[in-house]
Amino acid sequence: MFNLIPTMTRSLKSKTPLHSSYDRLGLVLNHLGASRSHTRSYTSVSIGAKFSTKYKNYALNESNKVISYFHDIPLNLDVENGTATMVVEVPRWSNAKFEIDTKATGNPIVQDVKKGQVRFVRNLFPYNGYIHNYGALPQTWEDPTQKSGSEDLYGDGDPLDVCEIGSAILKTGQVTTVKILGSLALVDDGELDWKIIVINTQDPLAKNLSDIEDVSVHCPGLLDATRQWFRDYKLADGKAKNVFALGGQYRNQKETIETIFECRAAWDKLVTGKSEASGFAIDNITLKGTPKNVESFSFNEEVLASKPEADTEIPADIFRSFYF
Amino acid sequence: MSYTTRQIGAANTLDYKVYIEQDGKPVSPFHDIPLYANKEKTILNMIVEVPRWTNAKLEISKEQKLNPIIQDTKKGKLRFVRNCFPHHGYIHNYGAFPQTWEDPNQIHPETKAKGDDDPLDVCEIGEQVAYVGQVKQVKVLGVMALLDEGETDWKVIVIDVNDPLAAKLNDIEDVETHLPGLLRATNEWFRIYKIPDGKPENQFAFSGECKNKKYAEEVVAECAEAWDKLIKGTTTPGEIDLTNTTLTSTEKYVESADVPEAAPLAAAPIDKSVDKWFFISGAH
Repeated sequence: MFNLIPTMTRSLKSKTPLHSSYDRLGLVLNHLGASRSHTRSYTSVSIGAKFSTKYKNYALNESNKVISYFHDIPLNLDVENGTATMVVEVPRWSNAKFEIDTKATGNPIVQDVKKGQVRFVRNLFPYNGYIHNYGALPQTWEDPTQKSGSEDLYGDGDPLDVCEIGSAILKTGQVTTVKILGSLALVDDGELDWKIIVINTQDPLAKNLSDIEDVSVHCPGLLDATRQWFRDYKLADGKAKNVFALGGQYRNQKETIETIFECRAAWDKLVTGKSEASGFAIDNITLKGTPKNVESFSFNEEVLASKPEADTEIPADIFRSFYF
Repeated sequence: MSYTTRQIGAANTLDYKVYIEQDGKPVSPFHDIPLYANKEKTILNMIVEVPRWTNAKLEISKEQKLNPIIQDTKKGKLRFVRNCFPHHGYIHNYGAFPQTWEDPNQIHPETKAKGDDDPLDVCEIGEQVAYVGQVKQVKVLGVMALLDEGETDWKVIVIDVNDPLAAKLNDIEDVETHLPGLLRATNEWFRIYKIPDGKPENQFAFSGECKNKKYAEEVVAECAEAWDKLIKGTTTPGEIDLTNTTLTSTEKYVESADVPEAAPLAAAPIDKSVDKWFFISGAH
């Protein structure tokens, strides 16, 4: 049931003839009266101290059961309105590199670890930490085994990355509906790593932003800052500048939605066990008929019973600004 | 000498007060803490009012006894500075020099504007995020002359003497070498920070240029002299409370001042509107 992926061109050009395919994919079309699942509320539960290697933040569904951020939260891509669901990993103006763990069962949000140490992004003057609410699109995957059509690059093996530009600071583990505005093709260590620019549909500015050029009008300086931030953010770790495909140009909403379709299809292959990539945890609660669909995760009760722990102190060095 | 803080109430509320204590005894950060921290006058004490990357507009209260740090209010509401893209809150550890005053009765010969009636403002550019009420030992690197709504409001640029970069920063040009872009960002920040509140852009004297260490030291000395006249009663203090616990020859000296006991509370949540980033076109 998960192999019915409409091709990009068909899906975008002809919205009506493909009702059933969209429907089976869980893609929501506005004119189908698709009020379902948009308002569904998820919560999260954390175990282990934040800013330690023990920290794990799991998604909970409305019946308080642990689910996977990667697989069980519907993408809800609404082509008509240009919206989709976002999972927030890193709140704006913070430094801890939180991300959905694609390799661990249940795909909790954890802090990335390098050489046994939790990772923080450095402050690139004049910025303080991440400059967006940063996160991912669930049920998408940048396939590391396939070269992406136009870019001739392998994907980075992660869900699509999202930069949310609204005025509120969002929380790690928050699930929210966002409007897709455009995208930037970062090449990170030789892998394609799209950065999708979005705004929370609840944001007061959302009604004024429909495509990438509106961002330049209403948020002057933000797109250039975003490009500079992703280009330079590893300089402080002694690495080279990142580069971009497509000459570092932003693509518009339509082109971005095509990429989301591609990455949605790649995820579909992964979760149905048809990908050759190994090591990814595809265990899930909601996708009946997939090879790793289970009633509940073995650690469900343990996670729910865990007691909150105080945060680990952020090392003082993380507050330093780097000047380039 | 060790300074500590005495907190009353919760941050981000009208009740919040931070007093400074010297060896456990309350002192005034305006009048009691010496401006110079060494005999050569190369190291100065700075009182931190606002930690970097925060928004609450905290300042030494001139009017209250022993001049605690409180949050500024306007029409009864707590004041927060807005985030002007790409900046987050204040971009320095911001504060004041003790025993200094920008005399509102004096027109500065070069800026042609009167003083703003406050202790001299300081921007500390070191890598640590300071805490409210911290007394830092700093060295002076330069000064900018902001004209804030028609008054001279000097911003002295300093660095914590214990910062890893401190040894390399000895005058204003070293700041551009080691912290490229910081002075330009500082200039931009002070020009635009009131625009989201509907006010016009601030102006700088000297075409926005940051004057060097020597010039800054002269400004500090002038403001120290103005404070000296104030504390000795030569200049009328207006609403300023001159109560102090160390300057035995002054009229307002007391052996110990009656201030509340410590009663710290956890910080209150900040209104979500403070998280907004304001995009100002043509700012950069």
